Amino acid sequence: MSLADKLQDKKVLVTGITGFVGEALLHRMIGDLPGTTVVAIIRPKGSMTGAHRMAQLLKKDIFKPFYGEGTPYADAEALTAARIEVVEGDLSDVPPLPTDLDIVVHCAGDVSFDPPIHEAFTTNVLGTKSLLERINESRQGTDRSIHYVHISTAYTAGRRRGAIPEASVDHTADWRVEAEAGMAMKSRIEEQSRSAPMLAKFRKEAEKLHRRAGHLTAAVDTERRRTEWVAKRLVETGTERARSLGWTDCYTFTKALGERVVEEFASIFPTSIVRPAIIESAVQSPHPGWIEGFKMAEPLILAYGRGELPEFPASPDSVLEIIPVDHVVGAICAVMATEPELNKPEYYQIGSGARNPLTFEQMYAGIRAYFSDHPFDLGERGAVRLPVWKFPGGDSVEAMLRYGERAHKLADAVITRVPRGERTRKYARELDVQKRRIDFLRRYMDLYAEYAQAEMNFVDDNVLALHNSLEGDDREKFACDITVVDWQHYLQKVHCPSVTESMRRLDVVRKKRNKGLAETAGVLKKVEPNADAQIIAAFDMDGTLLSSNVIETYLWMRLPELDGPQRVAEFGQMLRRLPKLISAERKDRGAFLRAIYRRYAGADLEELNRIVDEVLSEHVLERLSGAAVRRIREHRAAGHKTILITGAVRPLTRPLEPLFDEIVAAELAVDDRGRCTGYLSGPPLVGESRAAWIKHRARKGDIDLSKSFAYADSHSDLPMLSVVGNPVAVSPDVSLFRAARAGRWQIVDWKTPSTSSRLELPGVNA
Amino acid sequence: MSRPGFVLEVDDRTPPLIVHNGEGFLLERFPLGTRVVYPPEALPAVRDVEEAIQNALLNPIESEPLPELLHAGMRLTIAFDDISLPLPPMKKPDIRQRVIEAVLELAAQAGVDDVEIISANALHRRLTPNELRDIVGERVFRSFFPEGKLYNFDAEDSDNLTHLGVTKHGEDVEISKRAAESDLLVYVNVNLVAMDGGHKSTSIGLASYKSLKHHHNSHTMIHSRSFMDHKASKMHHSAWRMGEVLTEHVKVFQIETTLNNDLFSGGLGFLQKREWEWSLKDQASMLAAKRGLAAAPNKLRHKIYTDVRSPYGLTGINAGKIEPVHEKTIEMVHRQHMVEVQGQADVGVIGVPYLSPYNVNSVMNPILAAVMGMGYHFNAYRGNPIVRKDGALILYHPVPYEFSQLHHPSYVDFFEEVLSESTDPATIEAKFEKQYAEDPWYIHLYRTSYAYHGVHPFYMWYWISHALDHCGDIVWVGANRKTVERMGFRSASTLQDALEMVSHSVGRSPSITYLHNPPHLIADVR
Repeated sequence: MSLADKLQDKKVLVTGITGFVGEALLHRMIGDLPGTTVVAIIRPKGSMTGAHRMAQLLKKDIFKPFYGEGTPYADAEALTAARIEVVEGDLSDVPPLPTDLDIVVHCAGDVSFDPPIHEAFTTNVLGTKSLLERINESRQGTDRSIHYVHISTAYTAGRRRGAIPEASVDHTADWRVEAEAGMAMKSRIEEQSRSAPMLAKFRKEAEKLHRRAGHLTAAVDTERRRTEWVAKRLVETGTERARSLGWTDCYTFTKALGERVVEEFASIFPTSIVRPAIIESAVQSPHPGWIEGFKMAEPLILAYGRGELPEFPASPDSVLEIIPVDHVVGAICAVMATEPELNKPEYYQIGSGARNPLTFEQMYAGIRAYFSDHPFDLGERGAVRLPVWKFPGGDSVEAMLRYGERAHKLADAVITRVPRGERTRKYARELDVQKRRIDFLRRYMDLYAEYAQAEMNFVDDNVLALHNSLEGDDREKFACDITVVDWQHYLQKVHCPSVTESMRRLDVVRKKRNKGLAETAGVLKKVEPNADAQIIAAFDMDGTLLSSNVIETYLWMRLPELDGPQRVAEFGQMLRRLPKLISAERKDRGAFLRAIYRRYAGADLEELNRIVDEVLSEHVLERLSGAAVRRIREHRAAGHKTILITGAVRPLTRPLEPLFDEIVAAELAVDDRGRCTGYLSGPPLVGESRAAWIKHRARKGDIDLSKSFAYADSHSDLPMLSVVGNPVAVSPDVSLFRAARAGRWQIVDWKTPSTSSRLELPGVNA
Repeated sequence: MSRPGFVLEVDDRTPPLIVHNGEGFLLERFPLGTRVVYPPEALPAVRDVEEAIQNALLNPIESEPLPELLHAGMRLTIAFDDISLPLPPMKKPDIRQRVIEAVLELAAQAGVDDVEIISANALHRRLTPNELRDIVGERVFRSFFPEGKLYNFDAEDSDNLTHLGVTKHGEDVEISKRAAESDLLVYVNVNLVAMDGGHKSTSIGLASYKSLKHHHNSHTMIHSRSFMDHKASKMHHSAWRMGEVLTEHVKVFQIETTLNNDLFSGGLGFLQKREWEWSLKDQASMLAAKRGLAAAPNKLRHKIYTDVRSPYGLTGINAGKIEPVHEKTIEMVHRQHMVEVQGQADVGVIGVPYLSPYNVNSVMNPILAAVMGMGYHFNAYRGNPIVRKDGALILYHPVPYEFSQLHHPSYVDFFEEVLSESTDPATIEAKFEKQYAEDPWYIHLYRTSYAYHGVHPFYMWYWISHALDHCGDIVWVGANRKTVERMGFRSASTLQDALEMVSHSVGRSPSITYLHNPPHLIADVR
């Protein structure tokens, strides 16, 4: 009897139908098991209902042959009506199920290897339990026989070695205790993260980076660090708990406990447990190479093809238990048709190691051969150089990586401290690329090292027996004999072409886009007048419009007044204080400005204005970047309001007055004789105060900030740039450069004319 | 007696020749048969300058002697040529200082106490106090500057401009109110090259944009052939017509001075000698200069060149009525500069030096480099250009992307915004000139800072329109490709490459003329 006949008129509940295996199973059942009805539990996602998601699913190419002309079904809706029943729901809260189920295939599960511990328990253990309870409820007290097929993983064997039998995993962990403890971790860790010492630690780290930008920016970063820490701890806790009991990670650990739950229910339902190993693309059905999303090996294959995976901590002789998805689905279908006895769950291990092993070295050779023939085309630099793996062993790869991480950290510390410039930014960008690669390596090393060094051998006699029991052309349709697969052919002609295809398409797009980006890099779009709303363009001064800084401009303003020896003394004092000032500047720009401006005490404000008009104005104008002035004028021509927001003292902005509609600068307080007191008449406008000022201005003046512009050069201006819709980082320092790249902001380089010299002190030697 | 200029024909004994190349120079071997035009050597200077000045003031041409024009209670205005003359700047004392002091002396004797001294800078940048002091001298500066009686002309100060009328061609004549309302305007000129002086002094130097635009436009300037020959220059014709209107209203006492070709002295003295006549000392200083400049950082090199002051000798001074005075002046200038050249060549070669009239104490930006080569030097001819129509022009200058944001703010924008759209003078004029001329920011900078007027780069571009129109190919040797391309030219690495590039229009063995200047020369092409 064929499988189709055996499963005629059966109603099969499938969980996880939108997943990789679920989708393939649905495809097979619609096509090759015409008598079955599929009940799908689908979780609503966003605004999409379960039924909606099913409709989406059926629109995929692999389902198209099942409806339309030449088929029994006019369209996807007709197909759904005839063959599929959708139950909206979620494994964390399983809905009531139809009462006439014959078979349940539970493919849903958390497939990530490093889920947070509570999520792993929710889906893999508690979800399974509540599903089983609901199935029991659906029998409504009758003793209707429902065949429960549980899709687990071969790696429930954990860190065991040698031959793994097709039987219950031998361990003593109590799933109830573990689940309770695991679920409790969530609130425990959350609580821990909110303790004073932890919060202080996050805040300090955040402030080290963002204090200059202001408290709120630092606070946002503090909270981000906290949630990141919680997520990381939940994962770590899961992994460590798993390892402490002999499993590789939380995924296999909870999967194993899930099997225990299933085994407990084996007295109620005839039960089969299917344990596939690493599921990869199809050999035959739906079509060779079919794969949905990226599984375990794909990121590594792609990274290797891009030349970004210099080495891997695998043993060259360890066996990689890869299994094509259609073999898994074939086996599941065959298992569905079996009739196991109560209390005697059947185990099926679908792996390749026992009868057609693929070693890591062979796999590497296959992938390398593939990329040698079909290299990625990454731009104009020709094919990528493929790394040659020597398999030096886990420890030395780990050492390599650690060395890389340390070198990166050091380089990063250096780059954030050296003077800014085009070259610094180039190095920073290279470092960031490096960092991304190291992080990638670190993540995959930690995830996969265990698997790549596993020395297990999954016995699959039951599966072979299953295959052999298939009759007629079922052997073709539902093949699950791994020995038919030629691995080199599979890797080079089926799998790799399939997984790289989307990447290649993306590369073409990216190449075009990058070319476009390169052409427009550093070129600002022309500004347009806007009739609907008032638009502002806010500019920072020091470092943005002209190369100068507060210390320099202070010297410009003070030195002309003084005679020779006084000049030397003033200069010497500034020099002596420089280290202190620089460290103050790193911490708090406001305090730094106050420290400098204190030194104006006793200066005559009128005299300062005169010095600026007669001596400095020339100097300031000489240093103005031509591009900056053009941009300001462009804004004015477009009818935008131009605003200069600077921490510099008001007199210094005098030469720029005609360019701006409004100038916000530090006001030196004066006494009754017109002498500066050394204090400011209000706090200097730096960091977040700038953002607050702009927002306030916008509220008052009917200004559309989303269409407005801001231009600044330093990390402390981050808040100001963030409040407008068109932020532009001008010759930014490394921190702002990174923020700008992350936010896809425009970055331009406005150079101070090469004709001006930093060593010239107006009124002194120039 | 100094030797006249001559044309050398390069043969196999000719040593490598000096070619000016921005802030530096090259020693270039020219193809055999190249004709090299050498300027005349410096004419002998007047021995007693003071005496010559007195003589000119007391025995003017077609005018009463100056003392007779001066009387107590009158308004006297002295205008003088600004910092764009002479090039390079003159070693102290400046000839203008000497003349102004003499005029003031006579004025004091006559009891004139309403005197104002104006730098006739038209739309050029204002002179800094130091620059004013360098020209008029410490004494005059101290007595007049603090009281605001020594100042720069402001062509945008509408309250202080007077419209004197229109010429028969309908051209407005609008000049400084103070000059227009003075009983006597004494103009103190430095006539370095034939383009200067005459009616150009007052009716251009003290004129407003409204007045200037009648002749400073692409049409007039393309038909000024050349600027060095006022009788064949449309621009000068216009200035002369304006001068007629002006002199109807204002009594002008024109004092014109001419200088000799003594430009370089000391370590750079070899630059004005003929290469095969270099002494051991000249060769040593040439080597030292060449190596030194090559090794010096940009800023130092710039400073070395900016600090060059020339020991010009005065060759003549004439005073009185504008036209006859200018006749005499031109005669003297021609004697110093004119070199007879037989026939036009297929290819003209010009080395652009570090200085143009518009970047004294500043940097030579790409537009000024183009003007210096294709406006100033290319136009240094009488009769016909040195290059035949549709011939090729090869220029030397590094043309770095370098602008002074202080002096040339509108130049940067002109380069970025205007030249990126078009390099055709007429198109540029129609589309952009008005916008730049009336831009409040440029006007603000022109009036209060030290910036050239917003419209000035346009005038520069119009000035090269004759060369653009006349030459088929224009190639720069050793120039920054990007900047040169933006201006619509091409760049070659060597002279050989440049000749290769132009060979499609002038053939494989073109006739070549190289203008070996500065020192200044005018090629009288027959």
